[in-house]
Amino acid sequence: MLDEALRSLQAYLYATPQGEFLRTAKWGWPIFESLHFVGMSVLLGTVGMFDLRLLGFARGIPIAALHRLIPLGISAYVLNAITGFCFLSATPDQYLFNLAFRWKVTFFIVAGFNVMFFYARVFNRLQTLDPNAAPPLAARIAGAVSLCAWIGVMSAGRLLTFFRP
Amino acid sequence: MDPLLSWIEATALSTWLRESPSLWVFPFVLILHTVGLAFFVGANVAWDVRALGFLRGVKFQSLDRYFHVMWAGFWINAFSGVLLLIAYPTKALTNPLFYVKLTLIGVGIVLAMRIHRQMHTRPSADVEALPSGVRTLAAASLACWAAVIFAGRFLAYTCTRLMVDYPC
Repeated sequence: MLDEALRSLQAYLYATPQGEFLRTAKWGWPIFESLHFVGMSVLLGTVGMFDLRLLGFARGIPIAALHRLIPLGISAYVLNAITGFCFLSATPDQYLFNLAFRWKVTFFIVAGFNVMFFYARVFNRLQTLDPNAAPPLAARIAGAVSLCAWIGVMSAGRLLTFFRP
Repeated sequence: MDPLLSWIEATALSTWLRESPSLWVFPFVLILHTVGLAFFVGANVAWDVRALGFLRGVKFQSLDRYFHVMWAGFWINAFSGVLLLIAYPTKALTNPLFYVKLTLIGVGIVLAMRIHRQMHTRPSADVEALPSGVRTLAAASLACWAAVIFAGRFLAYTCTRLMVDYPC
């Protein structure tokens, strides 16, 4: 069942214009890959640095002020979602049946639920927190889960080529 | 240069890095190099964003801790980079782009240190607009790190010799 659904998704993605573009444009793939790595670094430089602050690192920085990094992180995320979707469309068979890709998606889901948990339960309490105070446990957990999830995403991404189907 | 490259490729460390089937050897070194890059360049991005004048309310001095993150990322990548170089010395050293990448990293570090120093010699700049010189340095720094990443990725697509006796 799942296999059948993935096969039809594979056929659909393969035929898309962005997939065709990335397979045929001369320097398309390396340029998109470089952009994907730039996005990754900006994501870690914004969301990752914010996560470190949630863990209690760099106390003295008001969390609400540092949170202004996040919109830049979201832009980087969007850049990587677009470039990533293009890779997936260009060679869908290399991803859909790849164990490392499934791990990468799993880490995305963990990161996504963690974002929901953070904004639903933690963020409001941090607005008024003394910048020098120890962050509450819930903030530390959200920061740790986020950092681990993104390191997991990067590691699984790097392993893609070693798990080619 | 070929005799030196052959000698490195024949060492036990180089052979082990290339030929071990374990995911904890070559793939793990690649993961280290990628995660290290994200923290190294990421910490610089945070600094540069502040130096460009965003994030008012974040004092320069309080960003100092992120300077340590940058150096941690740098040393992770120096270490993993040397291992990658030992594994495939010919691939990197026969590609002119590799030297461009190293030069750009040097330029990036010099820019980061200059930005760091300039921000520290202006304690009042926390609340004022920063002088345009600092913003120019920060913009150059961002461009430089993007160029390092492009150079690094393109290394894989522009190499001519994988090993002394194998083409790419």
